[in-house]
Amino acid sequence: MERGDFLPFLLLLPVMLVVFFVMFLPLVYGIVISLFDYHMGDLDFGRDFVGLGNYIRMMQDKVFWKSTVNTLYFTAGAIAGDLFFGTLVSVWIQSLNERIRPIIRPIVTIPLLVSPIIIGLIWKYMFNINGGMVYWILSWFGLGAEQFPGLAGSSTAMFCAIVAHWWQVIPFVVIVLSSGLVSIPNDYYEAAEMDGASFIQKFFKISLPSLMPQYMVILLFNGVDAIKVFDIIYALTGGGPNNSTMSLSLYAYKNAFDHFDMGYAMAISNATMLISFLVFGIVFVRYNAKARKEGIKG
Amino acid sequence: MKKKTRTRILQIIFGVVVFVIAILPVYMIVSSSLKPTLLIRKMPPEFVFEPTWTHYLKIFKQGSFLSYFKNSLIVAVTSTAVSILIGSLAAYGLAIMKSDWANRITGFLTFSKLLPAITIMIPLYVMLDKVQLLGGFVGVILSHIAINAPFTTWLVLGFIQDLPQDLFEAAKLDGCTRMKIFWRVVFPLLSPAIGSAVLLSLQYSWNELMFAMQFTSMKSYTLTVGVSRFVGAISVDWGQSSAAATVVMLPIILVGFFLQKYLVSGLTAGAVKG
Repeated sequence: MERGDFLPFLLLLPVMLVVFFVMFLPLVYGIVISLFDYHMGDLDFGRDFVGLGNYIRMMQDKVFWKSTVNTLYFTAGAIAGDLFFGTLVSVWIQSLNERIRPIIRPIVTIPLLVSPIIIGLIWKYMFNINGGMVYWILSWFGLGAEQFPGLAGSSTAMFCAIVAHWWQVIPFVVIVLSSGLVSIPNDYYEAAEMDGASFIQKFFKISLPSLMPQYMVILLFNGVDAIKVFDIIYALTGGGPNNSTMSLSLYAYKNAFDHFDMGYAMAISNATMLISFLVFGIVFVRYNAKARKEGIKG
Repeated sequence: MKKKTRTRILQIIFGVVVFVIAILPVYMIVSSSLKPTLLIRKMPPEFVFEPTWTHYLKIFKQGSFLSYFKNSLIVAVTSTAVSILIGSLAAYGLAIMKSDWANRITGFLTFSKLLPAITIMIPLYVMLDKVQLLGGFVGVILSHIAINAPFTTWLVLGFIQDLPQDLFEAAKLDGCTRMKIFWRVVFPLLSPAIGSAVLLSLQYSWNELMFAMQFTSMKSYTLTVGVSRFVGAISVDWGQSSAAATVVMLPIILVGFFLQKYLVSGLTAGAVKG
């Protein structure tokens, strides 16, 4: 409370130490090393210094640009589907009888608890051309690997990864949106019904505007999550075919641990961070400013 | 009247579709893990078959999944316990901090969420290598704590701020020190927040791959690393990898199922506070 009140800082110390040593320090170290041509082992400050060399190399690297486009495509597709299908499912759950709702929820939320690497594995199995469930279902409509090459096609593989991501993340969207829907007062809907509003009108005029804070949270958390996608693609395609599913995280990872090209890998991973900040920093700043205004009582 | 039945039917059809999509992929993996190899790729899938434990015997007896399981447990439980302890202390620290720093630190902790894991992981790998901490449990546990402790802080802080201020005043009048207030008054009331934080931290740590894959070695591989080694193979052994996947996902699904309440309250905390 007064000057020289150390207790709060003392309580914060362990977390701050961990954040400093395991997040902040590696971050700074990564920025420094990205200026060197470094392949593990000893670093010679004079000989290995390349300045912005790694970044210039990155700008000329076709695979880097492909990974960037892929990552943005994945993020956009993932979020669009998350929001669309998530909204559909939560509106459906909302329309159910209150006795059924608590039974449905635990089942719908199962995918949320499954590890992303397992999700990749599951969908690799589902999209398997030999005996995968997806191809069995497609065969009902006379479709096969020729029309939809799935994981083997460079135009369709990323879509498969997006589907796997939807399966995992939509439950999160449903939980968050459902909590928002429950908090909308019933009077609003009753008043609208008196005026003869249809189901669709009620949704667009009442539910959607009231859910804006929830959409904001989903956009922030899922968006950041999607832009750093790694595990699902690692399991599903490993970046192929023909780099068509290479994401930025995966490309940095490969440079670091397949080629031990650490300096270059750090340049790519720093670019990944920069892109994450550029795309979601604005959402974040607005979210945080709002939280600060309303939330923190101190 | 007629329109109502039609909506009902649509509702039910939609429900069945959602249900099947949520459950079927998990069911397929679990059932494949119990099927003889020849049946695994058979479409339409056989729903009635004689279960076999061959795949499980293989991964536990010939593979090292027993040790992976133990390692995952060590990593998840240690990192969760430490994260909860230091995270809730930090949250209380922020709650009783009267200066502007409280806001700045909270913002900083949330900001760390924007950081892609890969950006930290690669330099951290080099640093751990320099101090010879690669290969054991230290690196992976520390990195999980670095993700989970700020999250716990943020989650618990929200709950503390929702507690009535009178509570603190009353305890202070009774002559409690602030640490006494925390242990006797605040901490017991936090059980819903702690429950959510425990479940979500366990879930993260149990399921995490990237840090675990590079920071551990043969002796300290976790379950997800074990599974990733199947995935990397040129031709996937679906029987064994399904069994491995089941071993990873079933425990955490069961925990989440019984702690459903905490799962939901933890995940919605951000949305409600926002």
